[in-house]
Amino acid sequence: MSKIGVFICHCGENISGTVDCEKVATELSKVEGVAYSTDYKYMCSDPGQTLIKEAIKTHHLTGVVVGSCSPRMHEVTFRKACAEAGLNPYMCEIANLREHCSWVHEKGEATTEKAISLVTMLVEKVKKNKPLTSIQVPITKKALVIGGGIAGIQASLDIANCGHQVILIEKDPSIGGHMSQLSETFPTLDCSQCILTPRMVEVAQHPNITLYTYAELEKVEGSIGNFQATIRLKAKSVDPKLCTACGLCSSKCPQKKIPSEFNAGLGTRTAIYVPFPQAVPNKPVIDKEHCNYYQKGKCQVCQKNCPTGAIEFDKPDELITEAVGAIVVTTGFNVLGTDFFPEYGYGKYKDVITGLQFERLASASGPTLGEIRRPSDGQIPKKIVFIACAGSRDPAKGIPYCSKICCMYTAKHAMLYQHKVHEGESYVFYMDIRAGGKNYEEFVRRAIEEDGVNYVRGRVARVYEKNGKLIVKGVDTLLAGAQVEIEADMVVLATAGVSNQGAEQLAQKMHISYDPYKFFAEAHPKLKPVETNTAGIFLAGACQAPKDIPDTVGTASGAAVKVACLFSQAQLIREPLIAVVNRSGPPSFSTCVGCFMCETACPYHAIEREEIKNRNGEVLKVVAKVNPGLCQGCGTCVAFCRSKSIDIQGYSNEEMYAEVMSLFNN
Amino acid sequence: MDENSEFEPNIVAFVCNWCTYAGADLTGTSRLKYATNVKIVRFPCTGRIDFMLLLKAFAGGADGIIVSGCHPNDCHYTSGNFHARRRWMALHNLLELVGIDVRRVRYSWVSAAEGAKWADLVNSTVADIRRFGPYTEYQNVAKQLEMEDSHE
Amino acid sequence: MNKIAEKAVALLQEGHTLVLGYEEGDRAPRPFFCRQAEEAQHLVLDERCTANLAVYLTKPELMGKGRVAVFAITSSLRAIAQLTAENQLQLENLTILTLTAEQEIKTFATLEEIRSYLSEVPYELSDTEKALDEKLSAMTREERWKYWINEFSRCIKCYACRAACPMCYCTRCITEVNRPQWISPWPSPLPNMEWQINRVMHLVGRCIGCGACGRACPVGIPVDYLSKKMLQDLSEEFGYVPGQAMQDGNALSTFKPDDKENFIH
Repeated sequence: MSKIGVFICHCGENISGTVDCEKVATELSKVEGVAYSTDYKYMCSDPGQTLIKEAIKTHHLTGVVVGSCSPRMHEVTFRKACAEAGLNPYMCEIANLREHCSWVHEKGEATTEKAISLVTMLVEKVKKNKPLTSIQVPITKKALVIGGGIAGIQASLDIANCGHQVILIEKDPSIGGHMSQLSETFPTLDCSQCILTPRMVEVAQHPNITLYTYAELEKVEGSIGNFQATIRLKAKSVDPKLCTACGLCSSKCPQKKIPSEFNAGLGTRTAIYVPFPQAVPNKPVIDKEHCNYYQKGKCQVCQKNCPTGAIEFDKPDELITEAVGAIVVTTGFNVLGTDFFPEYGYGKYKDVITGLQFERLASASGPTLGEIRRPSDGQIPKKIVFIACAGSRDPAKGIPYCSKICCMYTAKHAMLYQHKVHEGESYVFYMDIRAGGKNYEEFVRRAIEEDGVNYVRGRVARVYEKNGKLIVKGVDTLLAGAQVEIEADMVVLATAGVSNQGAEQLAQKMHISYDPYKFFAEAHPKLKPVETNTAGIFLAGACQAPKDIPDTVGTASGAAVKVACLFSQAQLIREPLIAVVNRSGPPSFSTCVGCFMCETACPYHAIEREEIKNRNGEVLKVVAKVNPGLCQGCGTCVAFCRSKSIDIQGYSNEEMYAEVMSLFNN
Repeated sequence: MDENSEFEPNIVAFVCNWCTYAGADLTGTSRLKYATNVKIVRFPCTGRIDFMLLLKAFAGGADGIIVSGCHPNDCHYTSGNFHARRRWMALHNLLELVGIDVRRVRYSWVSAAEGAKWADLVNSTVADIRRFGPYTEYQNVAKQLEMEDSHE
Repeated sequence: MNKIAEKAVALLQEGHTLVLGYEEGDRAPRPFFCRQAEEAQHLVLDERCTANLAVYLTKPELMGKGRVAVFAITSSLRAIAQLTAENQLQLENLTILTLTAEQEIKTFATLEEIRSYLSEVPYELSDTEKALDEKLSAMTREERWKYWINEFSRCIKCYACRAACPMCYCTRCITEVNRPQWISPWPSPLPNMEWQINRVMHLVGRCIGCGACGRACPVGIPVDYLSKKMLQDLSEEFGYVPGQAMQDGNALSTFKPDDKENFIH
C-alpha cells in the first residue's frame, strides 16, 4: 500500500510564475496512492523541509515526490530531510518543474498540465522504489596530482601537510609550469622565480610527496577512493641517483640549436638539457627527438664525458601503477602563438611576439639576460606596441571568452619596459581594462600615470613590416575613431589563453567533462568550482579556465581541502544505485543463464563470475555477480540482459516502466 | 490536414542524466523557450534505455519519441552511449523492416553545455510530429487490446 | 546399416550415453534420441534433415549426465559455435560430428576446427527468402505495416518459434516476467508484433540463420525472415558472421568508435 507525499515548491516565483502550483498539488492529491499533497513557497528552506518531515511522520508516508528545481540541485537535500524523518532516502524522487518546465514554457494551462504529468510520472515511479542502504567502500589515502605548475605544487603541499601521501606527476623535465617562465608578477612586481622556487624545493623535499617528472598519465581505472593510476615514466636517459648536475654534458652536446620551450622559442637549448637553472629536479634529460644518438645512432659525447657515468641510453619507458584515492588535475593552460594571426604577420615577423615571449625577454634568466631586445637584430626597441585581446573576446576567431590575465600582464609588461628603457615609448591598444583583483586597478593606473604608458582605446587592424620597422595600424575610438599609425620596433600580442595540448585526451582518459574550448568542466560553475562530475577527481588552476596566480593558488588549496575531506572519513559511503543480479532459492538460484554478455559490456569490469555450488562442492551453475565497489550504475548491463536477471537499484525495470506508462493513463 | 495545426503531439524524451538532462537544465537556466509537448524521463545513461520502453511508449499513445545522450567519447560511464548507439542501429533497422514510422523516433546527442541544441531539438521534433500527425495507425492496433480486455 | 548408424553404435559402445541424430519421419526426417545400440539402425543424415538439433543441447533434462554425441548439420554447427561462445556448452562432454559434402563423417575436436570448417560454408538467404525480401522492399512503409500487422493477427502466441530456436535458452524468458509485463501474454496483433520485435532484438548478433523458428510456426508467419534480414543487414556493420562468434563479446555488447551514425540528429 503506497502512501506517497507530494510537495510542490513555488521556488519563490520561479515555478509559480508560470505553473499553477496549487492546481498541481490538488490534481496530484487525486492520484491513487497519494496520501498527502501540498504546495509551499520554498521547499528547500528550513520550514519547507520541516513541512516534509512532519508530513512523513503524521501521514506515515512510504514515499515522497518533490516538484521543485532540478534534482541535480536539491535531490541530496530532500533525501537527507526524508532520512532525518525516518523515511529511507531512496524513496524520495524529484520532479523537475523549474529547469524543465516553468523556466522554458510560457504561463498557461499547457504548462500546468505538463507539470502535473511530470509529478505523476515520478509518483508512479516512487510507488515501485525500494528502500536502499548505502555502500561502504574503503579509501586509499593517497592522492595523485597531475601537473606540476603552481596549482599542482600548492595542492600537493597542502595535501601533504595534512599528513597524506601525494604523488605529483609532471610531463616536463621540471616542475614550475608557466609561473617559472614569468619575470615579475602583478600587482606587486615581485620576482616570480623567487616566490616559486622555495615552493618547488619544498615539494621535492617533502617526506609525503613522491615527485615524478618527465612522466605522464597512461590510464586510470577504478573509482573514487579506489583508483588505479598507471603512470608512464618516460625514459630520461640519465640516472638521477648518479648525476651531480655538473652541467658538463650540456656543454659538450653538439645539438645546440633546439628552440627552447622554456624560453618560448626565443632561445635555444641542447638535446641533453636542464630546462632552466632553478629546475626541480635539477637533473638533465635527453630529448630523444633531437638527440644525435637516438635519431642517427652516433655521438654519445655526453656519456663519454660524464664523470659519474650517469648517462644510460636505450632504457625503455617505465610503467608503474599506483593505488590512489583521489586525483587533482592541475595541467594548466597554453597561450596562442603569433602564427594564429594573419593580420599580425602569421608568425613571420620576428619582432611580433607573444606576452609569454616578452616575459622571457624581461626575465633575468632569459635569452637576453633581462634586457628588452628585438629578437631580429638584438637592438633595444625604442617604441613598443602592446596589443591586448589578441584572439580573446573574438567569436570570429572561435574564442569568445576573455582570457582574464592579459590586461594585467600587458600593463605589467609596459611598466617593466618603461623601467628598463627610460626613454622608451610604449602604447597599449585595448578594448576594456579588466583589473578586478585586489590592488589591480591601482597597478594599471600606475602604469598610465606614473610610468607614462600610452593607452589607446581601439583595435589594431594590421601590423606589417617596412624598412625594418613594424607598422601598426589601429584606431583610437575615444578620439571618435581617429586612425592611428605607429612605427614600432616591437609588437607584443597578449594572445588568448587556451587549453593545454592533450587536454581532450587526458579528459577522456579520466572520464571528466570538458567544454567546447577543452577547458575541464567544473561540477557547478558557482558552487563547485574545484570538483568535476566524476567523483574523486578535482580541478585546480588554469586547466579549468584562464586565471591569475592568486585564484590558481586559491583553487589549488580548495581542491586540496576536498581531498583531505575525503581522506578524513574512515570509509567512503557510496550511493547504492548499482546493478544487482537476482538470486533466489533452489533449484534455479538465479534466473541468470550465464551468457555473460553483461560482463563484456561493462565499462568498469564490475561483473564477475560466481559459481553456485551444492553442499558437495559441485558446481551447479555459473552466474554473473556485480562488484558493488566498482559498479558505477550506468545500467548498460540491465538493458542487455535478455532474461532480465540483472536490474539496477534506483532505476529498476519496474520503476522505469511505471514512470513511462504513467504518461499515458488517459 | 487542418486538424494537424490543432493537434498537440504527445512526446516522451528518454535522456541520460549527465549530458542531456543537464543540457535541458541549462536550457532552463538560460530561459530559452520550447514547446510543452515533451516530457523528460531521466535515465542514468542512454545505455540503460531498454528498447521495449520505446515500443511501450508508442503503444501507450506517444506520437513521437526523443532519445538523447552524451556525445560519443564523452559518456560519463565511458561507453554506455556506444552500446546504446549499436542497439539503436539494430532497432532502427528492425522497426523500418516491420513498417513502424521511424521518423517519429529522434535520436540525438546533446551535451550538458548544449542548452540551445536541446531547445532546437524539442522544437523541431514537435514541429515534425505535428506535420506527421498523431500516430493513430499504431494506437488503433494498440487499442484492440483494450477492446478485447473489456469484453472479459 | 548405413555408416551413420555404424558410427552411432561405435560411439555408444565407447561410453556415450546419448547419440543425437535424425530418423525417418512421416514427411521428413525428425530428431531422434538414440540411447541404445539397437535403435541406431533408425539413424539417417542427409540434406532432408533440417531440424536444428542444437536446441536440445542446452536442456540438461534431455542431455542427462555423461558424454553426448550429436550429428550436426551446418546450421547446428553454427549454433554450437555460438552457444559455446556464450558459455552454454561444455565441449569436453560433447562429441560433434557432421557429414561433409564428400559424404565423409568428420569429428570435430575443438571449437577452432568447427569455426574453420564453417568459414568454408558461406551463409546465404534461400530463393524464397530473397523473393519475400524483394516483395517487402518494394512496399511503402504503410504497406509493410499492414502486411506485418496482418501476419501478426494470425499469431496465437504459442511460442513455438522460441521453443525451436537454439539461442533461446533462458530458463526464465522475458515473457515470463510480469513485473513489469514486457510482453503481453495474450494474442493480439500489436503484442504479437512486440513479441517478435523483442525476439529479433534478442537475436541481434546471435542468430545463426537456421530458420527453425519459421518452420516451427504453426500459422506460417515468416518470422525467420525478420531475424535473417537483420543478420544480413547488420552483419557487415557489426562484423558478425553466423557461427564465428566474436572473441571479445557479442555484436551488441561491443562497439566501434566509428559505428554508422547517419540516423542520429
